[in-house]
Amino acid sequence: MSTILKGNFETQKTVTVESEGETLTETFEREAMKRLGGSICFVAKKEIDWGDESGAGDAG
Amino acid sequence: MEPHALRKGELGAALVAHMNELTFARHGELALGNAAANLPALAADRSLRALRREARLIGKGDTAVVIAAGPSVRKHDHARQLVEAGYEGAVVAAESSLYYCLSRGLVPDVVVTVDPTRPIVRWFGDPELSDAEIRDNDYFRRQDLDDAFQRERAVNDELLTLVDRHAPDIKLAISTSAHPDVVARCWQAGFQMYWWNPMYDDPADPASVTARLVRDNGLPAVNAGGNVGTTAWMIAQAALGKGTVALTGIDFGYYADTPYERTQYYKEIVELVGEDRVESVLMRVFNPHYDAEFLTDPAYRWFRDSFLELARDARCRTLNCTEGGTLFGEGVEVKSLAGFLADDVERCALDPASTKAPTPR
Repeated sequence: MSTILKGNFETQKTVTVESEGETLTETFEREAMKRLGGSICFVAKKEIDWGDESGAGDAG
Repeated sequence: MEPHALRKGELGAALVAHMNELTFARHGELALGNAAANLPALAADRSLRALRREARLIGKGDTAVVIAAGPSVRKHDHARQLVEAGYEGAVVAAESSLYYCLSRGLVPDVVVTVDPTRPIVRWFGDPELSDAEIRDNDYFRRQDLDDAFQRERAVNDELLTLVDRHAPDIKLAISTSAHPDVVARCWQAGFQMYWWNPMYDDPADPASVTARLVRDNGLPAVNAGGNVGTTAWMIAQAALGKGTVALTGIDFGYYADTPYERTQYYKEIVELVGEDRVESVLMRVFNPHYDAEFLTDPAYRWFRDSFLELARDARCRTLNCTEGGTLFGEGVEVKSLAGFLADDVERCALDPASTKAPTPR
């Protein structure tokens, strides 16, 4: 932000910008990425894509 | 947000919306690595398409029963009910319920496996189970799925014998994401193996992970719904083509009095938020069909929501005969297994048209 917005005057006092710290929920979600989750993904509105019927294993 | 302001289930509810992302972050790389490692094995075997062609020979009539490993399946002893009723329809089991089924004298027609991690081999009996593994990994003693696994060594020995005896009679619908040690154990046991790819994203997009995988190995792509129980239902209705599918052991939750430490993600949750905030992640769901409250976590809640989305659009009639848990809503009829056996099995055998009308694809 500070690299984009530049004032056209000097402040009399030193201004310190508070960083936007992570909330506990955000921290949890970030950490949870590494630990929680299911066995495999879910794709909405799909069942089975049978694809090319002459694909692998069809001789069996 | 201050930690003390967290309400019960608040973090858990926030996580449900991100579960697919969490799942891919947790397992995506491993699953795709396994698929690459499994290429030589699957080239010599059959695909799920072959299972679809054999479907009319699997189970009598137009019904199937899915057996997953939720705690209700042992509480109501659904496998024993099926054996005693002489049920002849198709039985499709999650690999985590294989010991339960075989130890009750029920040999499933089809077993399904999808999770990419190595410990899954334990559900088939691990020929290399070491004392160190038992000492260092308490998951199988702690989990709520099957109490028998608290006798780890004894159950493993029993499973090795049971699986070796029955595997040649069982069709295994195996995901390319399966760990190579699981694949090796299943080969050695003699399962009839049918391979498929799990969908990681939309296969219709040529740039998707799934489309690339399908191009590499030529196998069909299955929407696994996040977990092996949902996958078993998908195989029963979309691959075997059964018109009525009864679910057992699909709790997507825990009994309300389950100690938190026996829930699936307890250790991870404690590491993340501490023991005193576990309740901010676990959620309670009231099931009006049983007038009872059940405990659930973000993953199970996501499985439940995803299942309902799939069931609403499915060609089959889905009966939830779990007799507990959190799965209820549009697209799923709630019924006891005894009710299904009494009312639906014969009717569907005589009159397949009594099930939901198939829609063209």
